[in-house]
This record gives sequence, structure tokens and C-alpha cells, in this order.
Amino acid sequence: MSRKHDVNKEIENEVYCGTLPVLPKERKYGFIDALLVLSGYCIATWSYTQGSYLATLVGFKQLLIGAFLAAIFMLMIYQLPVIMSVRYGIDIWIWLRSVFGTKGVKIVTVLIIIVNFPWYAVCCELFASSMENLLGLFGIHLFNGAHLVLSLSCVVIGTIIALRGVGTITWTTRILVPLLLLVGVAVVVVGFTSVPMDVIWNYQPELAGDADKTVNYVLNIEANFAFVITLVGGMAEVPRLCKSERSGYYAGVLGQGAAGSFFVVVGAVMAIAMQYVTGEMVNDPTLMMATLSAPILGLSSLLLVAFANIGTQAVGSYIYGVMLKSTFRKSSYKVLVLVLGLYVGILCVWGKIEEYFGSFLTISACVYAPLAALLFVDFFFVRKQKIDLKSAYEEEGHNAYVYSKGFNIVGAVCLALGFAFSLIIYDPIKSVVHNRILFMLTPTGASLLFTALLYYLLCKIPGIRRYVRRDTYASPDKKPFDRARIPPRQNAFFLPAMWLLCKIFVSPYKLKIDKHNMEGIKPPFLVYGSHNSFMDFYVTPLALKPYRANYISELEGFENFGEWIYRQAGCLGTRKFINDQSLIRNIARVIKRGDIMVIYPEARYANVGTNSHLTPSVAKLAKMLKVPVVTLNMQGNYLQQPIWNLKERKGARIHADLKCVVTQDEIDKLSVDEILGRISKELTYDEYKYQLENKIRIDDEWRAEGLHYPLYRCRKCGKDFAMTSSGSRITCKYCKDSYEMDEYGQLHSSSGEIIHIPDWYEWQRGFVHEEIREGRYKLDIPVRIWALPNSVNFVDCGEGRFIQDNNGFSLEFDNYRSEKHETLVFPAKSMVSLHTEYDYRGKYGPCVTLSTYDDTFFIYPTDESRDVFNPTKIQFATEYLGGLYQ
Amino acid sequence: MDGDKELDSRIEAVLKAEKENIIPRMTKKDYIIAAVITLISLLGIIGGFFL
Repeated sequence: MSRKHDVNKEIENEVYCGTLPVLPKERKYGFIDALLVLSGYCIATWSYTQGSYLATLVGFKQLLIGAFLAAIFMLMIYQLPVIMSVRYGIDIWIWLRSVFGTKGVKIVTVLIIIVNFPWYAVCCELFASSMENLLGLFGIHLFNGAHLVLSLSCVVIGTIIALRGVGTITWTTRILVPLLLLVGVAVVVVGFTSVPMDVIWNYQPELAGDADKTVNYVLNIEANFAFVITLVGGMAEVPRLCKSERSGYYAGVLGQGAAGSFFVVVGAVMAIAMQYVTGEMVNDPTLMMATLSAPILGLSSLLLVAFANIGTQAVGSYIYGVMLKSTFRKSSYKVLVLVLGLYVGILCVWGKIEEYFGSFLTISACVYAPLAALLFVDFFFVRKQKIDLKSAYEEEGHNAYVYSKGFNIVGAVCLALGFAFSLIIYDPIKSVVHNRILFMLTPTGASLLFTALLYYLLCKIPGIRRYVRRDTYASPDKKPFDRARIPPRQNAFFLPAMWLLCKIFVSPYKLKIDKHNMEGIKPPFLVYGSHNSFMDFYVTPLALKPYRANYISELEGFENFGEWIYRQAGCLGTRKFINDQSLIRNIARVIKRGDIMVIYPEARYANVGTNSHLTPSVAKLAKMLKVPVVTLNMQGNYLQQPIWNLKERKGARIHADLKCVVTQDEIDKLSVDEILGRISKELTYDEYKYQLENKIRIDDEWRAEGLHYPLYRCRKCGKDFAMTSSGSRITCKYCKDSYEMDEYGQLHSSSGEIIHIPDWYEWQRGFVHEEIREGRYKLDIPVRIWALPNSVNFVDCGEGRFIQDNNGFSLEFDNYRSEKHETLVFPAKSMVSLHTEYDYRGKYGPCVTLSTYDDTFFIYPTDESRDVFNPTKIQFATEYLGGLYQ
Repeated sequence: MDGDKELDSRIEAVLKAEKENIIPRMTKKDYIIAAVITLISLLGIIGGFFL
């Protein structure tokens, strides 16, 4: 009873401590220690099986290349990510939670064990063969079925040892490794002394008539790739105990690539020597020694090999039993070990594991290759050597690796496709090459490359990147966006696809484009466009067709859609309402190289479908560039998707006017005011007027939902933030004054009064101006702040304080850059407006943004300030204080 | 509960050690050596086709 209790307790302790991060002071292994431990793991009797298998494929020289160079090549690549295990003191199973999800990793663990555990059936088969062969040498012939009984006895004894727990296993390992070394030395001595050296050196296998030497060489490389790659599961525990990344990495590489491979070559030498002497190729060291030296040596080696095989079986059961226990915490260790024993037992009863050794190796590698690729790409390119340990350990409140109910779909899909890809190249069961070109890369190598590329590219897609990188909050990329980077020209190959995409997006809205004064106008020129919704970005390229153009875009778009795609689309990244000299230089570059520069000078979507005032800088820029100025006034884009409710209204119809307002000849002659006047005139718009005049019927029942964001003040009781909206109505929460939005965008009061939405909007502005003039305007509220430093991720800055008064803005918060509690000040005159959102990305609610050169701060209300935080009112105050409406 | 505290403190200690580079990192030189060995191995494998 007490022994049973002790084993369980030991295992519980082993599992618990075995999964915790190992602290730097607890690290045990330098390079030599780690090398010895890992070498010990890699040396097993199956090395002889591998060696004799290789000898059936290729000559000795090619065999050496495969055993050493192919092994080292693969190890150099797939062992690289173990530096994460060293850095964080965790094994790869903890880390794999980030790749497959907290539940997904359990399935992967089981999968790995299923494909890996046949190695132990190989041990049992060897044990049985050794016994039979040696007894046969002494003239003792066993009964039918004795082979199975012997192999099963190896399973049973190994399982019993594993069940006795960690103490017994430790002693087993201590005896096992020297024994295996001893057997290895004996095999080398006997092998090299019993046949002439040149027999081994010049050895060539006797191939069947239809055998292809190149295919065999590739299979030799493949077998070595697979051999080293499939041992990673059992070695996963060691690197976290290393004292430096270098020692962990090179110990892994050399433990397998030198020590492990040496024993593979020993096995090959043995097999070649046996074939030379007896005409039969064997992988049994006992039989070889008995045949090539003396039966007594065979008898001695029998005991060594017997124990070695049983010991390997026991250690394997223990390692994988603990691995399963750490994955399935509630299961009993003993039950798990028995299940593993049963699995090996079934393989022994099947009895063909040696016959299908090559197939088993390749199938294992089909799983391991994509796994190794995922680890590599995830560590170096996706997570960039950072992991959220708290999420990996599923600490409360840290759920980054839960993904979709515990499964990372992207990781799972890549693993499955990587597996399928290798099978498309080569059928390991029937040994049929399906694709000879890809086969040259080996099934493992091709699968590794394919999965790596697939996962890398998928993670470049912004939506997928955000899904996979839910842990960015723990280790965000803080490097500021490079605003000075020279923008590429719009990708000419990308352009037709972009036009097609734009066509598709505008098609439901019957876009009509009218061009005025555009005869003879060719790039370079400057385009100023109205800005109503994202639809503007689909209409503009079609209006400028067949020319390509560059666009100014807020950095947020780069983050949302991906920097690569934005660059291909010709976007210049910037932050709103800052004095960005790099942007001016890049605009000049675009014009200088003969392209079109598109600017949306309002720098924000229209809140209620009416234009904002433009500043003289718009005209000054045109004069500086000395190129024609073209305006693009787009109507209907706001109606199709107003900023206060991003649901698309299918009833909208869109129209655009492209007009040259300043020619090349006029640009020097006209004054700034004259140019500004012409641009402002052409960019004046009123979407509701356009809707009414053109009888554009928008009958969506929810057409007024969200309208309370721009229309926040009750017309009747005069209270701010009083309005609420539902369906097609906007209503005051306090006095219940209510308006129905008709299908043509007009508001109707219960008394029959008709309200033009922009009038209500501008009416509110007046009250804000009055508050400011009378010194009554002040907003001082708690807020939630997220910073956007680059196109990669947001950085959570926690809660802070947001103040707006006649002096401008103050933002008080824990600045992640300086790691200090700071107050950033944005003087009133430094900003003529500010960026506002009513429901950011359709799920984050209302916010405003403030920008420095290196960060855009997205400022959201907290629960406490939600009722008094209205982006429209903040914007009115900003525009008045900034001088836009004075 | 004690287990949670133990895990917490270990995670904090490991993150601190990571930030302070207490566990020596792979250096640029190490990566270059690794790349060279990988390349030599690859050339060797390609060379094997001609044997």
C-alpha cells in the first residue's frame, strides 16, 4: 500500500515539477552533460536496425553521408527552436500550446506517441530475435510462437519496471547507457576485425533490377532525416535544464548527429560484415558476435542486449507515461503505462514492424516534419522568440492560447496539410514515388518546407495573424513604424486584381463616374478626394484607371489589413494630425517619379455626410508640388456605410466626379486662397441632400441605429448625451422626444417637423463653441488606452486619465516606452481636428485617437466615463480650439 | 493554491531572467556557425548524388 502510494506521489511530483519552468539557478547541464544525456537517449538497439536498413539502400560512402551529414543538416534546423526551451526553462510541450492551443496540444501529444512508440516494438522484436538466434546457435529450437512470447515478455518486463517509478528508472538508465556503449564497442571491434576494411568501404548493396539508385539515395537521406526528427519527442525534456542556449542547441545536434549516427554506422558495418561472411544481412548484434567471433561472446552479449532492450522499453514507457500524465492530469500514471504497454504488445502481435521499418520511419516523419516546421516558423517569425508563459500555463485571466475552444485551427490545418503534402510526394507503405521532383527534396524535407512556408504566409494575413498572435499583449512589438521609408509604386501586377476587386465591391451600388476637364491630364498630378467611408478606397482606383496612384493611409489600416498588402496598394503610412515632414518628403517623391498622389484632406470620415473645412496647407502643398490639382467628389459612399453604423445599406447608389480644378499652367499663377477656394468648392457635399434629390431609397429597418453618436444632444430638452437610437428612430432618454428617419434620410418629429440631419449636427457644434468661449468646457475622465506603435500590433497601456480643456489635451497614463507614469500634452493649436470612431472595427465601441510621431493612442471610455464620452463633442471642441471653425 | 503561487513566482523569475539575459543567448556568431555547418552538410548531401 505504502509502495503504491510512493510511486503515485513520485509521479505526481515528477509531472508537476516536470512541467514548471526551470529557474536559471536550477539548471544542471553544461554542454558536455547535456551531450552525454542526449547521446544516451539516442543510442539504442534500434540504431542497428536503422544501420542495416540503410545498408540495403546505398553503398557505404553514401551511407556515411546520410548518417552524418543528413542527420546534422536536419538537426541544425529543427533543433534551433530548442533555444526557447532553454530560455524559458520549459519543454516543447508547454510551448506547443501556443501553436496548437491548450486542448489541441493534447491531441498532438497522443499523435506523437502513436507514431513514435513503434520504436519500442522494434526493441522487443530485437530482443526476441536475439534470444531465438542465439539459442539456435546452441542447437536449441523453440516452439512455434516463441518469438511472440519472447517479444511480449520484453514488453511485460519493461512495463513492470516503468510501473515501479522514477527510482527504478534512474537505476535502469545508469546501467543501460554503459551497457549499450559496451555492446557498441564490441560490435565495432568484431565488425572491423572480421572482414577486410575495403569490403566495408567499397560496399554496394545488391539492388533489384528495377531499383533506382537515385531514389535509394534519397530514401537513405529521408531515413536519416526521419530518424533524427522522430527522436525529438523523447528529447524534449532535456534542453530546459541547460545553462546556456548554445549548450542546449549543440548538445541536441551532436547527441543525435554524432553519437546517434555513429551507432547507426556501427549497425551498418555489422550488417555488411554479416552479409560478407554469411551472405545474409542481419541487424542483430548478438548473432553477429556469435557468428563472427565466438558463441561465448554472443552469449555474453545476449545478456547485455536483452537488458538493453528491456531497459529501453522501460525508459520509453516511463518518459511517454509521464508525458501523457502531464497532458491528461486526471488519468492514473499506471493506467497510462499499461495502455502504452498494450499498444506495443499489439504491434508485437502484428509482428511486421521490422518489415515496415522504412514505412514507419517515413510516416512518423510525415507528422514530425510539419511539427518541426511549425515550431521553427512560430518561434523565429511569428512569435519572434517570445511566448506568453502565463497563457501557456493557463493562468487565470490569461487565455491567449485557448483560441477556438482550446484548438488553434491554423496550427492544426498546417499540420494536417503538411502531413498530406508528404504523402502526395511519396507513398511510404507501397514505396511509390508520386512526384519525382519534390521527392528529390525528400518527403520530410519537402513537407518541412511546405508547412513552414504555409504557416509563415498564413500568419502574414492580418486576420489570421491576430488570431494566432493573441499573446501580443504580453510581448508586443514596440518598434515604431518607419514613416520615412520610401513608398513603393503601386504594384503593376497587383493593379488588375485591385481594379477587379474594386469593381466587385462597387457593383451593388451602380457606381457612375463623371470626368470633367480631364482631357490631356496625365500623371503626375495631385488628387484631393472627399472622405466618407471605406468605399472611397474602392471608387478612387476606378476613377483614376488606367493610371496607378499612391495613397495616404492612417497606420491603423496597415495594422488591420497588413503592411505588405497596403504597400502593394501604394499606401503611405502616417499618423493623423501630426506635423509629419517624412510624409511631405514621400509625397514629393511620388510626384517626382511621375505618379498620382491621392490625399483625403479631411483626414476623417464625414460624421453626417457633410464636408469638413479644409486648411490652407492643402493649397500650399499643391503649390509646392507644382502639378495639376484634381478633385474627386464621391457621393453615396457615406449613405452606403455611415461611420456611425458600419452595416452596409444595399439601397445606396454611388457617383463620383473627377475634375481638374487647377491646371499645370495655373498652379504658379493662382494664389493659395484661390487654389483653396477651388478645391473647397469642389469638395463640398451633403450626402442627405444627394439622397433626397436623387430619390435614393434606403429602407433598412435598422437605418437609424447608431445615429445618436453624431446627434448626441436632445433638440427639445437640450441635454448632452441624451439620445439613443433603435430601428429607424432616434429618441431622447430623458424627455422621450423622438424622430423617425424616413427612407430618404430625413428625420420627422411627432409634430410633423422635418429635420435635415446635418442641421442638427451643426446646431450642436454651436453649443460646444459657446461652452469653450465661456470657459465652461472641460472633460476630465478615466479612459482605457491602447497604443499603436506600428503596423503589427496594439500595446495595452491600461487605464489613464484623459483631459480636454481650452489648452488642448492631456493624456496621463503608464507610458510603455518610458515605463513611467507620464502626462502627454497635445496643445490645442497643434490639431485642427481629431480622428473619431463610434464603434471601432464594429466591436470596440467609441474612441478618439491622439498621435505622437511614434504612437497613435486609441482612447476608449471606461464603464465610469462611458456616459460622458462622446467623440463628436470632443471633435467639435478640438476643431474650434484648433482654429478650424473660428 | 501553493502550486499556483509556485508557478506564478517561477514565471516571474523566468521572465525577469529572460529580460536580463541571465541565461546566455545564442550570439550572432553562433548563428553564423550554425548556418555554415548547415550549408556544408547540404553541399555534402548534394555531393552524395554524384557518388
